[in-house]
Amino acid sequence: MSTCKPLARICIRNRQPSFLPLPQRRHESTTRRHKKLLNLPAAPSYTPDRSQPTLIFNPPSSAPSVYHTPLKFLPKDDRRRQLYAAFQTAATQTAHRTASPAVAAPGTPLSAPSFLPPRPSAGLPPPVRIPYDKKYHLTDADIVEIQRLRREDPERWTRVRLAEKFGCSQFFVGLVAKNEGKAERVESEHERSRARWGVRRRTAREDRGRRRELWGRDA
Amino acid sequence: MKRIRISRCAQQLLAQPSPRRPLCPCATVLQRNITPHNHRIQARFQTTAAIQNNEDLEIEIEEPSASEAIESTSRSSAPQRRRRMRLENLPSPHPSAASHSAKLSALRARLSLHQRFPLQTLARTLVHPSADPDPAFNNASLSILGANLLGYYTTEYLMCNYPRLPMSVIFAAQYAYVGPKALATVASEWGIEAAAEPGGEVDPGLLQFKRIKSGDDVPPALRRQAPWKWNVTTTHKIVATDEFGSNNAPPGPHSLSATAVPMEEAAQSFVRALIGALHLHLGSPLVKRFFRDHFLSRHLDISTLFDFRTPTRDLSRLCAREGFEAPVARLISETGRLSRHPVFVVGVYSGKDKLGEGAGSSLNEARVRAAAAALKAWYLYRPIEVTVPSSMEGELDTSKWKPNMVDCGEVIV
Repeated sequence: MSTCKPLARICIRNRQPSFLPLPQRRHESTTRRHKKLLNLPAAPSYTPDRSQPTLIFNPPSSAPSVYHTPLKFLPKDDRRRQLYAAFQTAATQTAHRTASPAVAAPGTPLSAPSFLPPRPSAGLPPPVRIPYDKKYHLTDADIVEIQRLRREDPERWTRVRLAEKFGCSQFFVGLVAKNEGKAERVESEHERSRARWGVRRRTAREDRGRRRELWGRDA
Repeated sequence: MKRIRISRCAQQLLAQPSPRRPLCPCATVLQRNITPHNHRIQARFQTTAAIQNNEDLEIEIEEPSASEAIESTSRSSAPQRRRRMRLENLPSPHPSAASHSAKLSALRARLSLHQRFPLQTLARTLVHPSADPDPAFNNASLSILGANLLGYYTTEYLMCNYPRLPMSVIFAAQYAYVGPKALATVASEWGIEAAAEPGGEVDPGLLQFKRIKSGDDVPPALRRQAPWKWNVTTTHKIVATDEFGSNNAPPGPHSLSATAVPMEEAAQSFVRALIGALHLHLGSPLVKRFFRDHFLSRHLDISTLFDFRTPTRDLSRLCAREGFEAPVARLISETGRLSRHPVFVVGVYSGKDKLGEGAGSSLNEARVRAAAAALKAWYLYRPIEVTVPSSMEGELDTSKWKPNMVDCGEVIV
């Protein structure tokens, strides 16, 4: 069964090691089990609860339109604030009331997170980078120390090492202790290695820069 | 099957033809070339084609006095008070020819203009200053009025409906709605055709301007010029130049009288002059309706006009300014992280509220796109009820007026 392979591959295992006994998990080795696995319940909009013909609105998933202003961006006196708040409470109540189907109960293969739409929960998705707060903890003496180290031995005390030592960002080190000679040397070194590039690498880099500009332009 | 004679079937609806129309210069040519009552032959005529010398091609004009100098050729010491003058000597069609032009009537009907709007004025809006330098016969003054009206209506629409737009986006949207290219497109959609060469014998329904000879360059006044200084500020763009945020002020319509111009310039001057003439003859309510039907009805997606260089930094500045929690990028979903074409969907959250969402093939790309989407969502805020200032013009009852939102301005990093 070649069709089994991709599904088996996307089955995500628990990343965190746990000391609980592993539950027995069966693989989808037969066509029948496979079909049952793929037999997901239809979208709620396709199964109307009334007999009268209703409008089926089931658009493909896409990024929200930028013309829909988020609740936080609305001014204080905008009428949409109450509408959004009312919708939010109603949607949460409905989501919590809807029971999960038996086939997706915990312990079955369908309970794996890749098969199910995300359940409504209070938890937010994980951050892309670890959030940090600015500490503003360096004193004038620290800054003088940073400048002295950077001036005396720029090869040893790079921006990265200074940032690690003093617990600040590299940007801040560059801000308070700029070393022009070192920057020029590094830049000329980079320029020399860039001069050795061939046509393909150079065009690939230029194209990457051009694509990077399109990120902020929605293209 | 019996053929309906088209000339008969609608004849009762038409006005009675005047017995002689000596002022229509093409009538004799048309009658000479068309086989009568044969409607299957579709003959095309170039209005500016050579017309033979006829007695009909002359017009009676009053002898100009010594002070006014309309025509240098007619300033001969002729003894008679009224004399006949050749049409070719006029720089643009005589105003009296407008009432006989089929093209002008068709244009007026096509634009659904009121019968009160005179054809003579419509003909005048089609004469660019490069065809006729006389300000009494060209559209320069009307186009100045029309440009101001178009700028006013577009600006108030944009600023009332999108009160948070950055200035550069307002400039770009103005250019897209009533810029020279947009106006030239509007004119071509209205079916405006240009005369090959302006002159008194040309049909007044054609756009009259002096064309650039093939191979010649665009006149220096219309060429892109170096800015007068290199750090042109937004304030200078707002105050000193045109409504599109150009670096230099555009050439005035009167200054183009001696130069050959491209078709786009002539077409935009026609559209502007038409707006100005409508304002003078029909009043501002009708002009506003005309503007809504022909200009605001053109679809423009303002969200494509943005160009952010550092969206993440702008967004965190915005959140700090407005007192929101600092934005945090969160990974909503992902697929194929180890494959060649991964897709990451990242949302930017401030506290528990999602501000924007973006998808990209790297975590950085998705993060930047999400921040750009969040900034767009901020800038493209649209109030629910909007009353534009021009809707209250001349009204004594101000109870319908709702003050518009005025935002504190764009994010400056």
